[in-house]
Amino acid sequence: MEPNELISFQIISAVGTARSYYIEAVQVAKTGDFKHAGQLMEEGDEFFLEGHQAHFELIQQEAGGDSVVMNLLLTHAEDQLMSAEAFKIIANEFIDLYKTIQSKK
Amino acid sequence: MKKIVLLCAAGMSTSLLVNRMREAARAEGLDCTIDAFPTSQAVIHGRDADVVLIGPQVKFELRKVQGLLSCPVDVIDMLSYGTLNGKKVLEQAKKLMEENDGTQ
Repeated sequence: MEPNELISFQIISAVGTARSYYIEAVQVAKTGDFKHAGQLMEEGDEFFLEGHQAHFELIQQEAGGDSVVMNLLLTHAEDQLMSAEAFKIIANEFIDLYKTIQSKK
Repeated sequence: MKKIVLLCAAGMSTSLLVNRMREAARAEGLDCTIDAFPTSQAVIHGRDADVVLIGPQVKFELRKVQGLLSCPVDVIDMLSYGTLNGKKVLEQAKKLMEENDGTQ
């Protein structure tokens, strides 16, 4: 197995799981269970960090002079990473919105 | 012959896992088909499947997919997915099928 292939999969798996937790958090916030939503966001963050760390290792490798080979799988992994990162911000905003709506009811 | 279906967001990264699972199935002489599709095609490809496994990135769709299909549906173990461990994921699929056979 290519070492890059494995690290790409680590990233996809971790940040993909994080993204899934963020989506679940918004869905749970919609029902008014903000405590659970907060827990899901925290769980998501744990996985996001894991994926981020794997990606950071690649950056360090490249910074150390050992160039990283780009391929479609790694591009996909970075795409997932960005998507999870953006979704986290949106999820937090949505949870706040649901809280505001709830308080006005 | 058993039909194993994997679902993820686009079916891209999971296709690589499918190759690993096929290798594992061949090595142990398991008679099955293994394919990956996007979750949007869950019903088309999952309705006659023996087991459906979904990628950790679409875990939030588990209940929806479970509601659409009659076979066992579960999320692929994140660690097995992240390490591209086809053998482990195949074992997970086999276990789900065995449990299901036991209840029928």
